[in-house]
Amino acid sequence: MTRDDLKDYIASHFGDKLTALDTGRYDPLYELKAEHLVEVARALRDDENLKFDFLCNIGAVDTTEHFEAVYNLASTTKRLRLDFKVIMSHDNPEIDSVIDIWPGANWHEREMWELFGINIRNHPNLTRFLLPDEWDQGFPMRKDWDAPDFIRMPEPET
Amino acid sequence: MSKLHTEEFVVNMGPHHPSTHGVCRLMLTMDGERVVKIEPVIGYLHRAIEKMCENRTYVQCIPLMDRFEYVTSMSADMVFSLATEHLAEVEVPERAQYLRVIMLELNRIASHLIFYGVTAMDIGALTPFLYGLREREKIIDLFEMTCGNRLTYNYIRPGGVSKDIPPEFVPQCREVIKLIRSKLIDYEGLLNENPIWLARNKGVGVMPPELGISYGVSGPVLRASGVEYDIRRDDPYCIYDRFDFDVAVRHNGDCYDRYLVRLDEIKQSCRIIEQALDGLPEGEFKVKKINPFTFKPPAGETYARIENSRGEMGCYLVSDGTNKPFRVKLRGGSFNQLQALPYFGTGGLIADVVAIFASIDVILPEVDR
Amino acid sequence: MQTQYGTLELARVFQWLHDLLVSTGIPEPWLTVVIYGLLGAMMFGVLAVLALFLVWWERKIAGHIQQRFGPMRHGWHGWYQTIMDAIKLLQKEDILVETRDKPVFFWAPVIAFVAAFLAYIVIPFGKGLVVADLNVGILYIIAVTTFTVISLLMAGWGSNNKYALLGGMRSAAQVVSYEVPMVVSILTVIVFVGSLSMVDIVKAQSGIFVLDWNIVHPLGLIAFVTYITAATAEANRTPFDLPEAEQELVAGYNVEYSGMKFAMFFLAEFVNMFTVSAIATTLFLGGWNGPFLPSWVWFLLKTLAVVLLLMLFRWTFPRLRVDQLMEFAWKFLVPVTFANLILAGIAKYLGLYW
Repeated sequence: MTRDDLKDYIASHFGDKLTALDTGRYDPLYELKAEHLVEVARALRDDENLKFDFLCNIGAVDTTEHFEAVYNLASTTKRLRLDFKVIMSHDNPEIDSVIDIWPGANWHEREMWELFGINIRNHPNLTRFLLPDEWDQGFPMRKDWDAPDFIRMPEPET
Repeated sequence: MSKLHTEEFVVNMGPHHPSTHGVCRLMLTMDGERVVKIEPVIGYLHRAIEKMCENRTYVQCIPLMDRFEYVTSMSADMVFSLATEHLAEVEVPERAQYLRVIMLELNRIASHLIFYGVTAMDIGALTPFLYGLREREKIIDLFEMTCGNRLTYNYIRPGGVSKDIPPEFVPQCREVIKLIRSKLIDYEGLLNENPIWLARNKGVGVMPPELGISYGVSGPVLRASGVEYDIRRDDPYCIYDRFDFDVAVRHNGDCYDRYLVRLDEIKQSCRIIEQALDGLPEGEFKVKKINPFTFKPPAGETYARIENSRGEMGCYLVSDGTNKPFRVKLRGGSFNQLQALPYFGTGGLIADVVAIFASIDVILPEVDR
Repeated sequence: MQTQYGTLELARVFQWLHDLLVSTGIPEPWLTVVIYGLLGAMMFGVLAVLALFLVWWERKIAGHIQQRFGPMRHGWHGWYQTIMDAIKLLQKEDILVETRDKPVFFWAPVIAFVAAFLAYIVIPFGKGLVVADLNVGILYIIAVTTFTVISLLMAGWGSNNKYALLGGMRSAAQVVSYEVPMVVSILTVIVFVGSLSMVDIVKAQSGIFVLDWNIVHPLGLIAFVTYITAATAEANRTPFDLPEAEQELVAGYNVEYSGMKFAMFFLAEFVNMFTVSAIATTLFLGGWNGPFLPSWVWFLLKTLAVVLLLMLFRWTFPRLRVDQLMEFAWKFLVPVTFANLILAGIAKYLGLYW
């Protein structure tokens, strides 16, 4: 189905849980509430017409007001693409793990925890892997993170 | 007689090792001679590329993208440029699109030649490494002629490419394609039917397709297990829908099939390059209105993905309307393949682990960023 | 006894030397000691030079197969590169692990080196050029080439390193397993010739050039192929060099050795390679037989041809896994060589050997 068909299908079947956003370019982007994450993800994977069995990416974003976790999905059989994001509060961000649905989310979620400090519930192995084992300087990818030697580039002359 | 007490012991295939491609540490739990558990320990190459990108303008990020995946740095530049173009909604000129396709496919061939050489070297045949790199030198000469660099090209920019090709590029490119086609027959004759090669690779490290899809494995590793998924055909970007090529698929999912799939892909890339060279139009090679300093795409977010020689390479880009990206999240194919390795790489000897690790063609910068 | 040798034969030089020493009038037991002492020293010198030559030659062959030149700087086409490497290894620090088993660690490379040289006492380098023509020559060689197993085990144990021990055990298991097909291939030739003496075996192949060699007979050809395969494994060369390959985790028995001790293992490997090639030449390719050229030149040419074959194997084939290696030896080579031996016995009985 084409992108517009996909939008209509999602609106009709998942309209109550997935709200369409217009900041997404090129592929449809939706917003999802954190408490519906696991059931909607499972439904998206198992739905006969969608079959989103391939989790491409989980990215975390720190807009300075809140945290977002963006899930990019694809279907290997149906040539479809979908993105949705879950918005979390800035203090104590927490999200469920989708490891039971897409086991490939394991390391993506570990990275989210390690670099942003987003707590992942039900994750089997939340340990450090990218940063050194004795890292104690906070969560580097957050926008308010600073380090003594983190040098900001000067604005280029135009 | 009571059963002999045995215990498992951990063997460390350390970060410095001739067989791990880059600095990857594999902790192997062995029961006698068999490998029972593999635990990859990564992070030795973490350079915080994503954080650095937030501090640079869009065009200044391109050299960082080169280093994100330096074996196929054209693809790395491409994925970021594609994401930027989605955000800015610019139309890239025809000539630039064709040039991009030629460069991407040449880079794919170069990467697969490295794979051929390094895999053969890991299994013990020391000579094909030199043959693969000899052909890669010809491709690198083409790149050097165009953009001046041999490894990190900084060539594909948002809005087009950075320079036009010199006039001697097209005939030399055709020569190179002809040479590679003929040498590929030699390569296949050297290793494909060799009983030792078959004994080391056939039936080793079989990855079931469902495991691959659920872990997000893509690229030649997934296609060797029978799943016919190629982003160039299924979700075409950058005029790939105009070219006629087959998707290389094999069905057994062992190391031998992963090797064969990549050799098939080299042949298909040669086809694509020839078609692109035939159809190369005249025209602009970049969009004029993207000024590297003041380029400010409208606020928004997008996820762009391309088919790299290692699988799906993706870039999730968030823009807030300034001239610097707000968030860049990079996804490399090797990340997911290394994640899936413990689930299909066990059960053999250490020599098998070496063979499997070589056949999935992991590049550590993609994993660690 | 005086035999007349052709003009360019080296045996004339040795006869002259022998006569010279006899004429000095040294009493009998000391005369033998002096003669054999000199012979041993000369043999050692020749083999050391040969080992250096082989190392250089291997690097040139490897380079040319890989479309590059190999050593080019030290002398014309790098001919004294090996000497430079030996000097470099001599002045390297001898790194000694504190917890090693001192005598075992020290003697392992010595035994490896000495065992490599012991086999040359019975190999005929040309007409009349054999140090001692034992009438059980081949049996002696088989016994002596097994000495290297001891040095492998000693190296693995003495390093006090569990990976070196594993590597040493694997090497030892490999060498011992491939002894069986090697010996049985040699036995096939013995059945044809009827004598264990090396010189007799060579003399049995004199006659028509090539057509009288043992390799031409079909059973002799099979024996040659199995012998070369088993010999490659004996010499721990690719495709059978998993125990000492760098790409494998278990690094091999010589991982803790550095400097000159390592050089001894390394040179012993090359001398071993020459030994098995020399045995192959003597048994299958007619030894020093051949027209026009002096006999020692023929011997050298034939042996170097076999050595070239072994080198080509190394730079072409991938390597076998350890379990595949052992499977190949016991499940394939041993039955084939035994069947060949039985057929050879039948052929000899029926007179099908000329």
